Amino acid sequence: MSLDEKQILSEDDNNEARVQGSGSRGQSAETQIPMRQAEGNDGEEQILSEDDNQKGNDNDETTPFKPLRLSGSQPFVQQPGVYMMIGERTNVAGSPKFAKLIKEGKYEEAVSVAVQQVENGANVIDICMDEGMIDGVAAMTRFLQLLGSEPDVAKVPFMVDSSKWEVIEAGLKCIQGKGIVNSISLKEGEEKFRANARAVLKYGAAVVVMAFDEQGQAATYEDKIRICERAYRMLVDEIGFPPEDIIFDPNILTVATGMEEHANYALDFINATRWIKQNLPHAKVSGGVSNISFSFRGNNKVREAMHSAFLYYAIGAGMDMGIVNAGMLEVYEEIDPELKELVEDVLLNRRPDATERLVDFGEALKAAGAGGDKAAEKKAEEWRNGTVEERLSHALVKGIDAYIEIDTEEARAKLGRPLLVIEGPLMAGMGVVGDLFGAGKMFLPQVVKSARVMKKAVAYLFPFMEAEKAAMIAAGEEVKAQGKIVLATVKGDVHDIGKNIVGVVLACNNYEVIDMGVMVPAEKILERAKEVRADIIGLSGLITPSLDEMVHVAREMERQGFKVPLLIGGATTSRAHTAIKIAPHYSQPVVHVLDASRAVPVTTSLLSVDGREDFETQHRSDYEAIRTSHNAPKAKALPLAEARARRTKIEWRDEDIAKPEFFGVHTLEDFPLSTLREFIDWSPFFHTWGMKGIYPRILNAEKPEQEEQAKHARALFADGQAMLERIVEAKLITARGVYGFFRANAVGDDIVLYKDDARSEELAVLHGLRQQVHREGSEPCRNIADFVAPKETGLADSVGAFAVTSGIGLPEVVERFKAANDDYSAIMAEAIADRLAEAFAECLHKRVRDQWGYGLTENLTPAELIQEGYRGIRPAPGYPASPDHTEKGTIWKLLDTEKATGMKLTENFAMWPGSSVSGLYFAHPQSRYFALGKIDRDQVEDYAERKGMSVDEVERWLGPNLNYK
Amino acid sequence: MGIVRKTQPKHPLAKLMEERIVIIDGAMGTTIRTYGMTEADIRGERFANAKKDMLNNGDIFSLTQPKMIGDIHRRFLEAGADIIETNTFGATTISQSEFFVDDPREHGGRKDPEFYQKIIDDTMLSDLAWEINETSARQCREWADRVGNDTGRQRFVAGAIGPLTVSLSNSPDADDPGFRVVTFDQVLTAYKQEVRALIAGGVDTLLVETIFDSLNAKAALVAIREVFDEDGLTAAGKELPIQISAAVGRGGETMISAQTVEAMWTAVAQARPLSVGLNCSLGPDLMHPFLAELAGKAGCAVSCYPNAGLPNPLAPTGFDLLPDDMGRLLGEFGREGIVNIAGGCCGNTPDHIAAIAKALEGVAPRRYGAALIEVAA
Repeated sequence: MSLDEKQILSEDDNNEARVQGSGSRGQSAETQIPMRQAEGNDGEEQILSEDDNQKGNDNDETTPFKPLRLSGSQPFVQQPGVYMMIGERTNVAGSPKFAKLIKEGKYEEAVSVAVQQVENGANVIDICMDEGMIDGVAAMTRFLQLLGSEPDVAKVPFMVDSSKWEVIEAGLKCIQGKGIVNSISLKEGEEKFRANARAVLKYGAAVVVMAFDEQGQAATYEDKIRICERAYRMLVDEIGFPPEDIIFDPNILTVATGMEEHANYALDFINATRWIKQNLPHAKVSGGVSNISFSFRGNNKVREAMHSAFLYYAIGAGMDMGIVNAGMLEVYEEIDPELKELVEDVLLNRRPDATERLVDFGEALKAAGAGGDKAAEKKAEEWRNGTVEERLSHALVKGIDAYIEIDTEEARAKLGRPLLVIEGPLMAGMGVVGDLFGAGKMFLPQVVKSARVMKKAVAYLFPFMEAEKAAMIAAGEEVKAQGKIVLATVKGDVHDIGKNIVGVVLACNNYEVIDMGVMVPAEKILERAKEVRADIIGLSGLITPSLDEMVHVAREMERQGFKVPLLIGGATTSRAHTAIKIAPHYSQPVVHVLDASRAVPVTTSLLSVDGREDFETQHRSDYEAIRTSHNAPKAKALPLAEARARRTKIEWRDEDIAKPEFFGVHTLEDFPLSTLREFIDWSPFFHTWGMKGIYPRILNAEKPEQEEQAKHARALFADGQAMLERIVEAKLITARGVYGFFRANAVGDDIVLYKDDARSEELAVLHGLRQQVHREGSEPCRNIADFVAPKETGLADSVGAFAVTSGIGLPEVVERFKAANDDYSAIMAEAIADRLAEAFAECLHKRVRDQWGYGLTENLTPAELIQEGYRGIRPAPGYPASPDHTEKGTIWKLLDTEKATGMKLTENFAMWPGSSVSGLYFAHPQSRYFALGKIDRDQVEDYAERKGMSVDEVERWLGPNLNYK
Repeated sequence: MGIVRKTQPKHPLAKLMEERIVIIDGAMGTTIRTYGMTEADIRGERFANAKKDMLNNGDIFSLTQPKMIGDIHRRFLEAGADIIETNTFGATTISQSEFFVDDPREHGGRKDPEFYQKIIDDTMLSDLAWEINETSARQCREWADRVGNDTGRQRFVAGAIGPLTVSLSNSPDADDPGFRVVTFDQVLTAYKQEVRALIAGGVDTLLVETIFDSLNAKAALVAIREVFDEDGLTAAGKELPIQISAAVGRGGETMISAQTVEAMWTAVAQARPLSVGLNCSLGPDLMHPFLAELAGKAGCAVSCYPNAGLPNPLAPTGFDLLPDDMGRLLGEFGREGIVNIAGGCCGNTPDHIAAIAKALEGVAPRRYGAALIEVAA
């Protein structure tokens, strides 16, 4: 096509094509662009007539948009009108840096290129190993297997990119999800095309089809659409390829080459794209964008502008995705207007001298040195601002190894000894990983990834540990060797993938792991353990008979006099089974390890010089508790109806009903701390510090052997008093509270609160739970609602509610102590604030009793107050009488607590800040504290109904109280 | 010209699923254990001299104790199962090798592709794997047809293709995350043999199940497609329906390769399965959200045959849930409209299956098909 044959459109005869109606359905507003329509002499179909437009719309209505659906470990669904980002830095043809890494075998660094691509928002990663010096099949396989172990990358779909079919097939054999094959074509004839397409379908992938045929690459619009249509019909009609999984690449070819026949290449692509979207239902369009600007190599400013402008028009025509370096894209709106005009003249073939003009402008730009300085300022990542412990934890949870050595060094400098870094912050981080995994929020590959980061940290610390060892040897001290762990799947069981993961995680933590494989008889395990002097033996099994085999191994260990701990893991194993069936046969610790994420904290504790004793004590008492509760006869629950019939017997008399001074809510702003200190119960203060005993007896030794403890108690008490003094004097914290009285009557198992004296309109409902088990003889089945006059008595009863805190300002105080490395004072301040909060609840209870009237005559000493020798109770949600924490939500609403005091409820219904107490006040003389105990399914279902919650939800909140789980 | 895909008539099982929820049987392994078989029983004469323990190599029972296995099939059919599964969960050269070949790790070696190539090439293992598959398929066929004729209700045999004892997605090497013990082609070879033997034995469908590694499952699907094409089933319009079922963890991911259910469905959709679903691992309640998600996305039938709750070695059956519990829970799934095929995995006895069948009687099956996919898109 010669230049004079081409009709160049002037501004006047611009045809503003309605892109929206032209097949690229649902484009976003940005892509509804005025599209200059090229009008070819012989290409009538290029003219967007009303008829075409109409046809396009019909098409749309009969065939709704079928998005491209892909997956890695996560699904990806193309959104209508949203351009898909394909990361192309992992393409040896597109990235010299990546090519170099692969050629030098630096796969680990090559993987980090993929990680960056995903972090930068790539929806799909293009992977190409087509380079003369690279063994494509081997490199593709190795790289994809590495990516498969990289959870952050494995979540996205992969595009397997090669001109060699065997490389593509090697790639397809490594991806579990649905990727994209890039590409197949008719270049080598129909037979090969069919075979390849069928193979793609067999592996389950979308496919890029290049506009190529036996004659070669389609350059013109006519050739492009002819070949694409032919390929489409073969794929859809003959092979049964889903049309939405076909992605055409109608060849983006270089413009501004100086050759006249290249001048219309951009428009040819754009128009072919539009035609495909209109005529080949559901097919997608892609292309290699950087080709367009190849003539301007070395002039990035011009290239970036060309890419953006080209994409702007191609996306408008319906292009779904493209391969482009995101770093080589200018924002369309920000292209220099003069440059934009020149670029668009070239792309849209608007004037014969377009190329010359752009070349001149480009040279001028280059000369002015405006080409280069696009230094990407990398903003420091937010998480880098945390403490070193937080950073290490973040790095482990997210599997980031970029800063692990710097952070590990910082922690080492801070803590002094390398081992303390491992047993401290690193293990804490792995603990978080374990928690997340246990909650289903992290998956196994991520756990393994975290372990690999851990490995790096440990590797960094290794020389320091060696140096420490050498120093110890020099000083004649005993040196502990690296921990050795023998792992085996027991005899009779062939499952070991989970055990292998445990092995990897342990090896990453500097343990020497001797994995004996599967089906290993007890005698071989024990023989090997002796031979290598194992520190720990770990047994795994998946099927139920393995449990008996584990018991056998434990017995054998006892018989042979082993002294090392035994770990138990695998799908059918459980903590309860381990405690009840295995542990009793072996006198050393037998510990159930829930999953790979839990292995290291357990082994670390077991092999730690300082930590082993504590761990063992705790472990033994935990397992003993499990055995005790298992051996306890299963409680028989009374049916709910029967339990209700046995409610607390109260003879309802008007004289027992207290009348409050007011109804409604009072706020206590800045309550005097000096008042509160009088109400402190000191016994729990000692419990906080792990000292058992009753204040004030605890301060004095009754027997000589108690003198040591009494001395500690006195010292602690003195410190506590000093801290209290300091807090009160300097007013380091502020106490705030809110409480109120409400008209109330019991209705069934609930307490209904009313808005006015007529008691016709409900204000809120407090939900109660009733005891169902261990109700011996005539013992009533209690429920807090029993202590409020039932509606049918006609008595005008009331309840109180309160929320108090002494924690305002506490976090700052604690932080200040911590900053000064004074952890003791930090904990002490918290302990004192907790006491003040409880004192506040007690003190307020006194006021409430006075306002109910009966308190005015009670005349109790503070000691008697603490003994709770008064009338009425103040049960708190989450405590034994009403274990459902969600009831705090009702209290919060009733009192408008957050507004009144600043106290908040977290999503788990914990109170913020700490040192807060909330609850209800009951006045009836027969009201008393009780523990709900276990309840049965019938009550849970009934309660769920009353609360408007699902049974699942109720079971989650009341887990420890369920009699049937 | 290559193979032409013939349009196949609608499979009777597909027709049945338009009418009602179809019942699949319960667990083989945990049910076998209730028969109190001993090591000597499973060995019989044939494996009397085997070096390793055989007792937990349950597939072997189809060869040495066919009466017991037949009894289990019959009891599940009489409990109301429309589909019974072959006893072939581990019937590949790769899985069988664990019971017959010394583990190199016992002697400080390792398992790697070189080791597994020997396994794949081992004629004893390969003959054995073929024999288990074909024999078990024939036994199932016989019982399905017998009970089917007696009751006037057609029964179906699903050829069970298990997940293997190796993973294509996971590296057991702490120093090399790119290492794999086995190659895709080795897994493919093992699966192709299993598929051929199951078809030779007369199964109605091929069920790729208990998927914990989606790449293993993909190899099984590629194996099925290659057998269909190479053996002329495609050309003859005699492809068997494919069923797919994954075992997911508490986050709804395939347990080893961590693929979410929607991603898994996307990855297998082109295989045009008759059904896709979840089995094993979690009990029904924990499985529910992921099953509901899958039911909302999948354009084919949805199956569900969970364990009878979580494993609980302290419970009499080894699992938490009793027949009534399973009936109640799967009954709820049915009424919610999220299943087309229901049954049980580990811990589900014929009594469990009877309870499930009863609970789902008269409950309308989930609607699916082309119309539904369009709406979902």
